[in-house]
Amino acid sequence: MIVKDKILEVKNLTHYYGEQVGCEDISFDLYQGEILGIVGESGSGKSTLLKCLSGQISPSQGMINFCIDKSQPLQDLCKISEQKKRSLMRKEWGIVQQNPRDGLRLRVSAGGNIAERIINEEIKNYSKIRNKALEWMDKTEMEKSRIDDFPVNFSGGMQQRLQISKILSSNPKLVYMDEPTGGLDVSVQAKLLDTITIIVRDLNVSMIIVSHDLAVVKFLTDKLLVMKSGKVVESGLTDRVLDDPQHSYTQLLTSSILQV
Amino acid sequence: MIDGFNFAYLDEATKRMIRRTILKAICIPGYQCPFGGREMPLAYGWGTGGIQVTASIIGINDTLKVIDQGADDTTNAISIKNFFKKVCKIETTEDTEKATIIQTRHRIPEKKLSENQILVYQVPQPEPLRRLEPKEQETRKLHAYEEYALMHVKLYEEISHFGSVIKTYAYPVRTNKRYITDPSPTPKFDNPKMDFMEALQLFGAGRERRIYAIPPYTSVQSLDFEDHPFQIQTWDERCDICGSNNSYLDEIIINDKGEKKFICSDTNYCEKNLKT
Repeated sequence: MIVKDKILEVKNLTHYYGEQVGCEDISFDLYQGEILGIVGESGSGKSTLLKCLSGQISPSQGMINFCIDKSQPLQDLCKISEQKKRSLMRKEWGIVQQNPRDGLRLRVSAGGNIAERIINEEIKNYSKIRNKALEWMDKTEMEKSRIDDFPVNFSGGMQQRLQISKILSSNPKLVYMDEPTGGLDVSVQAKLLDTITIIVRDLNVSMIIVSHDLAVVKFLTDKLLVMKSGKVVESGLTDRVLDDPQHSYTQLLTSSILQV
Repeated sequence: MIDGFNFAYLDEATKRMIRRTILKAICIPGYQCPFGGREMPLAYGWGTGGIQVTASIIGINDTLKVIDQGADDTTNAISIKNFFKKVCKIETTEDTEKATIIQTRHRIPEKKLSENQILVYQVPQPEPLRRLEPKEQETRKLHAYEEYALMHVKLYEEISHFGSVIKTYAYPVRTNKRYITDPSPTPKFDNPKMDFMEALQLFGAGRERRIYAIPPYTSVQSLDFEDHPFQIQTWDERCDICGSNNSYLDEIIINDKGEKKFICSDTNYCEKNLKT
């Protein structure tokens, strides 16, 4: 059996918005190459959890330990400096926004969007940057000829692909996806999911995907957390949780999928 | 001096505040220091920042030269010069070598400046990242943490759309290998002059209330890519008046048929060239 490295360790993570519970007492581990899904109804704390994990808000309590360097023990994200956190955000993490327009610079060409994360790694050679951008467009199955076009003129699916290639171009360790296929039609969704699976398996990156679409979760993830009212009510291997739901809410969730 | 005015128009407390800001700016080359900009008797955009800097550093023995687009005889230059004549009773000059303080808009004199001179720039927009990132809070963080990838994204964009970097003025520089700095709207032709310049360079932005500085003998590098190195403008023509082939040339349309001439933008340099 291959022993995989632990990338992320979350312990008793809690966040309150004033008196209101955002998420409460959440603990899980994530290993390299693993894909974790978080499902739950609207307002169940999925996004709060994701924001805490990706450093956008600091949690009220608990620990988020992240593997910055393999040779060193995991470090608590709540304790590192803002500068370090920002540098992690630019290189080691990626956040794929639900709305690609939030994650892209719309007045910068597709190539320029990808270039930004490559330039962060101190590459100051134009041709190298451009070739790398082309390579990533190819990997995410975008037409290379559109490298100088602006994302405003792209379809929703293309924008999402661009966002994904932008983020993956810096070889991140961990990618957060917030409803990556929200707002896309079913056939585009299917193609995008295909691309994501291929690339992610290829690069061995870890991912945390927040979604309320059980089909997406079933297709992509290895492990699953089911959230309700800010708490994790059930967790385990995705197939186990979906095929044999134990908690009444998970049972409700799986039984409410529309059958075509 | 006219009655009712302090020397150099500003009151002493204000001058002291601006001098303190200037000292801070010199200590952190290229860093934009906020200061309490005062209202000046001319509109924003006409050099209120530069005038405040000049007013705070000028002394009774100073000789002032003011240029606008390199020329001594333009409206802005002449009115600023007259202003200081009125409120300081100091000597003014058109001769670059004789001046101890040179206030400028858009140009650095062609004549190499010396250690006992100060160059004061009038700056409209001190923040080089402003057009890329509109939030002040964010641009300050970008500077603080040296997150300058955005600036290279802009250069990348220009090369991929136009084949080369097309920015010809306010071409961003890196000061002392640290802060990315806006050289104010001077043509990129003047960027190499800023590198290890012997004179002190002070930048005042009145509307934006910022002062920054490049101390003498400080490295100033124009941003570029390894395979697209920084280049300055060149002309096939020579100056129509003095025949110079190494100064910054202005293109002048001389009649309705569209015929044109090229002449030096630095009028003092052109005159001296003509005499020798």
